[in-house]
Amino acid sequence: MSDVPSPKPQPLGRQKTFDSSFLILLAIALCAALAVAYLKGPMRVIEITVNYLGFLAVLSPKILCGFFIAASVPILIPRETLVKWIGQDSGARGLWVATLAGGLVPGGPMMIFPLAASFKVAGASTATVISFVTAWSLLGVNRTVIWEMSFLHIDFVLVRVLLCLPFPVLAGWLAARVLR
Amino acid sequence: MNILIGTVVLFALAAWVWQRLETGDRRQQAYQGVLRMIRTNLPRLMVALISAGLFAELLPQEIVKAYLGDTSGFKGVALGMALGIVTPGGAFVSFALAAGAMQAGATAPAMIAYLTSWGLFAFTKVITEELAFLGPHFLMKRILISLPIPLLAGSAALIIF
Repeated sequence: MSDVPSPKPQPLGRQKTFDSSFLILLAIALCAALAVAYLKGPMRVIEITVNYLGFLAVLSPKILCGFFIAASVPILIPRETLVKWIGQDSGARGLWVATLAGGLVPGGPMMIFPLAASFKVAGASTATVISFVTAWSLLGVNRTVIWEMSFLHIDFVLVRVLLCLPFPVLAGWLAARVLR
Repeated sequence: MNILIGTVVLFALAAWVWQRLETGDRRQQAYQGVLRMIRTNLPRLMVALISAGLFAELLPQEIVKAYLGDTSGFKGVALGMALGIVTPGGAFVSFALAAGAMQAGATAPAMIAYLTSWGLFAFTKVITEELAFLGPHFLMKRILISLPIPLLAGSAALIIF
């Protein structure tokens, strides 16, 4: 399980291929496969596997684009710049900046939470970090465009996104008022 | 159709990013990043997608219809929220499940509550990453403040749909 160390600057965080979360995922998949095999026969498992791998092939251009964008953002906007923007501006405008950043910065939890932690270290208020995490959770563009829109109807996705739009700023605002 | 729209948007965005990278050196650096992401994420993507398909197959139709279907109303929204918390993270298991549930008769508001709650509170993500990096104090505050969001979004959707 050795990972070749790379001299290149790392994106916002990194993850090994076979860590515990992958093993958990694998175990869950095996349980589901056994259940389907038991209930509907092993052929159904093979059918679903082939179908979804085909789906992955169809999605691969999107996934590659997403990867490319995700790999480029840290090069275009160095982490330090982002941390400075969000760390120093903790007023009402900071909530908007944090919401925008949370919606746009690509990456999974292994990248986002360390980034959020560094905002805190740089001086961002709890409210700002709450806006950032909430925006990433509800409005992350990469996830919505690559995954949500691939599985669900566009009308549904648009309604969900529109309904969720006010919450990141609202949550941060509430945090600033209620919690100190 | 959906996939097409998303692909066009992403291609345009990628082209813009490629242009903004300006130098060949920085583009090379981005390609290296892409290769790293493929190496770490492809096995994960494959396993997660297949298990998403398997889970969708295992959804019990009658139960979905009874508890999340047209007559479920706000109860369906609340149940959707609860299910979102216990669905493991991973970018698309929840989306595949929501799509499967809607095919089985679940309502859009219930699924909006489900996806919103999964995004905000999926316990695997919250416990493994958020707690580790941001600490229990922050986590408590964020969760308390965000708690009504799935119910609010789901209820608003009940009015719209």
